[in-house]
Amino acid sequence: MNNFIINLIPGKTFLHQLSGTTKVRLFFVLIVYLIMSFDLRLILPVFILGIIGLISLRPKLKSVRYIIIFVVVMNLVNILLYYLANPHLGMLYFGHETIWFQFNDYYIVTYEEVWFLLSRFLKMIASFLISLDFILAITPSEFAAGLYSCKVPYKICTIVEMAFRYIPDIARDYQNIKVSMQARGVELDPKKTGLLKRIKQNILILIPLVITSFDRIGNISNAMDLRGFGKGKKRSYYAEHEETPNDKKVKIVYILLGLFVVGYIIGRIFFNVSEVWYPF
Amino acid sequence: MSKKTTLEKFIGVWNTKTIVGVAIGAALFGVLMNFGSIRIFTNTSLTTAMVVPVIVGGLFGPLPAAVAAGVGNVIADLISGSGFWFDWSIGNAFLGLFIGALPLYGAYIEDGIFEVKHMIIYAILCVIGCGISFGLVTPFFTYLWYGGELTITLYQSVVGSISNIIVLLVIGIPVLKVLASRNSRGRNLKAE
Repeated sequence: MNNFIINLIPGKTFLHQLSGTTKVRLFFVLIVYLIMSFDLRLILPVFILGIIGLISLRPKLKSVRYIIIFVVVMNLVNILLYYLANPHLGMLYFGHETIWFQFNDYYIVTYEEVWFLLSRFLKMIASFLISLDFILAITPSEFAAGLYSCKVPYKICTIVEMAFRYIPDIARDYQNIKVSMQARGVELDPKKTGLLKRIKQNILILIPLVITSFDRIGNISNAMDLRGFGKGKKRSYYAEHEETPNDKKVKIVYILLGLFVVGYIIGRIFFNVSEVWYPF
Repeated sequence: MSKKTTLEKFIGVWNTKTIVGVAIGAALFGVLMNFGSIRIFTNTSLTTAMVVPVIVGGLFGPLPAAVAAGVGNVIADLISGSGFWFDWSIGNAFLGLFIGALPLYGAYIEDGIFEVKHMIIYAILCVIGCGISFGLVTPFFTYLWYGGELTITLYQSVVGSISNIIVLLVIGIPVLKVLASRNSRGRNLKAE
């Protein structure tokens, strides 16, 4: 199902070789950067960087292609629903509207609206690319090490790390339960069943999935206790390595970017810097 | 069942078992959010994932449930790629506090205690929790971080609350019942 998404062995490319701390901090800065603005001038460079990063990671094309198509279609549907929910966003953001064409009195298409929805779409795709790059480049242990370096308590780091490690297991259990349900004669093909039946079938899978998953708590926690988890106040990570020259270069980039983000947010709050940009 | 104060029940015991439970809960939440859900509105779906914090809450307490829901939502965002919506993660974490409050009113899933009065309290808390977290907390953070455009967030809130309440009641109560009856062996024994 998603066995490609989470990799447990670090790869060989530039992004893979960075230390966990660098990856996590760079990722956080970029996510805040993307959240703070709808400005196309700020989004576009990250969008292009995301594509370059994705290509440089050399992922398995077949599986990544599937998820990219899925996300692009989903986001297009979201944008359409966004338009249907409020076709006057251009007015809200830019304060003026230029009508392109209109369906009726309420549903008009304006240039500002199209511009805003384009920015929004690119913003979503850019943050998707960044998170895909991040997931492809990092291993769960490096993620935990990176979070720990940002002063997150290590118990929380462990939660995140274990959750990531556990996802492939859950996906496998889900498949197994589905197959055994089908062997017992439950129809699970979405084409042959309606919405209500599908919900019912989801429950039929959910209960065994929950029970098998939570039954393992005892085993895992005993194993961790036996290895002395949670005894010390601090901990170190085997996956974390010393800063390489590349790490130092990226460090300068994310510190500068972080300063820019802080400046921009202060500007937004105190000096009325606009979060959107409309050139025409 | 040892006697604990309400605050202790609220925070839960953060030992290894709880940490593993929360981690598994978060992973389940993330997976179900992506694969066990039926999309009904922009970024809003009828998802069985909401049941997971309830179970985590039933086993470990409200705060672990909140952490499981919050971390689970971030993980779901990370593997689904629909962008990061931390306002919703915080809303879900807040909802986790309410729906995971089972031990506070005496429903111990681990000991098989889940009766009709617990169901009623649970149902009321679900409705209140959805109202507060999606009606107040999420729009507040949306306004704080993403600015303006509250109309769509409010639409999403209404649709999300209704679908969550349906899931929490229609799926949550039977699942809790099954889990409780599974653990209920030895309930009627007395120490001699």
